[in-house]
Amino acid sequence: MDYSMEDTQNSAPDALEASKLSTTAQRSDTQSVTKRLQAELMQLMLSPSPGISAFPDADGNLLSWTATIIGPTETPYEGLTLKLSFAFPNNYPYSPPTVLFKTPIYHPNFDFSGRICLDILKDKWSAVYNVQSVLLSLQSLLGEPNNASPLNAQAAELWDSDQEEFKRHVLARHRDLDEE
Amino acid sequence: MSNMNALSADEMERFQKLSNTYEPDVQGPLVSRKEPTQSVALEYANADHALSAKTNALAITHPEYRIMKGDGNCGWRAVAFGYFETLFALRDPMRIQREITRFKSLEMLLKQVGHSEHLYEIFTEATEDLFTQTISAIQGGAGDESFLVDAFNNEFASSAVITHFRLLTSSWMRLNPHRYQAFLSLPLEQYCASQIDPLKTEIDEVGLQALVDGVIEGAGFGVEILYLDRSEGDAVTPHQLSPHSPSGATIRLLYRPGHYDLLYPADPNVNMEPIVNYQYAMTSDYSNWNEGPLGFDVDSSLMAIPNLMADPSFAMGTPMSPMPSVSPTPTSPFRMSPQQEMYQSPMQTHAPIPSIPVSSPPPPIPPPSAAPPPMTTLPSRSSDGPQIRLNPLVMKPNLSRSLPVTTPFKNSPYNQAHFQNSDFEPIHWEPHDRR
Repeated sequence: MDYSMEDTQNSAPDALEASKLSTTAQRSDTQSVTKRLQAELMQLMLSPSPGISAFPDADGNLLSWTATIIGPTETPYEGLTLKLSFAFPNNYPYSPPTVLFKTPIYHPNFDFSGRICLDILKDKWSAVYNVQSVLLSLQSLLGEPNNASPLNAQAAELWDSDQEEFKRHVLARHRDLDEE
Repeated sequence: MSNMNALSADEMERFQKLSNTYEPDVQGPLVSRKEPTQSVALEYANADHALSAKTNALAITHPEYRIMKGDGNCGWRAVAFGYFETLFALRDPMRIQREITRFKSLEMLLKQVGHSEHLYEIFTEATEDLFTQTISAIQGGAGDESFLVDAFNNEFASSAVITHFRLLTSSWMRLNPHRYQAFLSLPLEQYCASQIDPLKTEIDEVGLQALVDGVIEGAGFGVEILYLDRSEGDAVTPHQLSPHSPSGATIRLLYRPGHYDLLYPADPNVNMEPIVNYQYAMTSDYSNWNEGPLGFDVDSSLMAIPNLMADPSFAMGTPMSPMPSVSPTPTSPFRMSPQQEMYQSPMQTHAPIPSIPVSSPPPPIPPPSAAPPPMTTLPSRSSDGPQIRLNPLVMKPNLSRSLPVTTPFKNSPYNQAHFQNSDFEPIHWEPHDRR
């Protein structure tokens, strides 16, 4: 793994921190988390947004979901199917979910292990954000990377200098995941 | 960067893990029980003079405080807790019902700025649950607010209520941008998204004002901040966030740079008892009077003022109507009414102790009318309560904690102003030759 490429302050997901919080917060709070996640799921099914979808994993654990973003038109990701995993902490929605790209992706704000640099998934998280708003943010990030704080500096540079070459990198890196 | 490259990937990974799991080591519960403010004074005993003087004075005017955990939510938590605590202290279930209704109508704010119900309902439900708990605590005759302390120490419930208050505040601000934008260095929308909505972002002054305006003021509660800093002066600097508190209930915050706690003024019970004038007269064998700490015998016949019964205000029976039983006292001890000036911290009185006005609280004694009948027997204590007025510091049932420190006692060893007098010699108490 190439750690020197990372912005160490913004890089890694907060899974460990979240799980640590949850041990102190436990009680029967899972009920509240479950209720909230069910409400989100219902909302996603009743009023889906174009190009995004999400569903709890088949294992019956409501705390882990798989989501899909279809690459928006007029971006280098057009038509690509991008899969993500959501891991919700026990104190969700007071801590953000840990979101990772499962599909290999070449993008200034995502690293090669699929980690995401997005402020609303870190210190700017608020309890009214949700699966849908996170997916919409990521979808727009595909077309408008935040090159001010890149996780993948080479991609950031290439995005600015050579869009054609950038797209070649995207396609070279992309690999469709098998349906689980 | 060259240094970092010198580390192996394994080491980097280990450091990254450590860094990810790092949490500032903040000890203690989210909300503590009431603690003596004296411990704040002790913290600053060896600090800057301004701080030690202010904290010593604070320990007298506000003998108790409640510590909020410094986890980034302390200001929000202090106001939310103070709100529920004040509501509980009023012990009026109907009023809580009105608050439940008011909070229901506040949901409009959330809707108007586009929050969807399925996302915020867990927060509004948590708040409503706390209202319900408060009503049952009142109806069940709960002695103190410990159920609230417990509720706020449940991290999930606590987060939900704080999130609810945060969302109401940011929605209120978004709907009233003209009131706040001028005070912000960034666009209001961005300010709300980065400084108000995210859990664990500390409240700042604009946010606090908006919280008071949008959420608290509708309850009729005042909010006062007492600033403890190094500025000139011998007392903490008070600041009223709400111009008026019709119900008389006030939430008091102690602010030290970067942190909020809750403060409780000298005597929450002072207004539950009839106001009596200590300097005026002690009429009789007032049995509630705690003689223990007094350095002299309370001989009621000696202390009675002969013309007292000629005073029409006493003849009326109940000269003052008792205030509603509000826990936080309605008037701030810092308000500049003449009555309050003399109650201010004794620490302020180094030099001009003798110049303290001798009478100010009571209605002036009317000139003695013709010849009042000489008092031959002590007036019996009326069932309306004792007819003396103690200053708020004296009224404490437990006098040992808020000892008489004003005029009648200015020579008393309990007057802490003496601590600053180099010539002061304390009286030595000899247990055996007392009386």
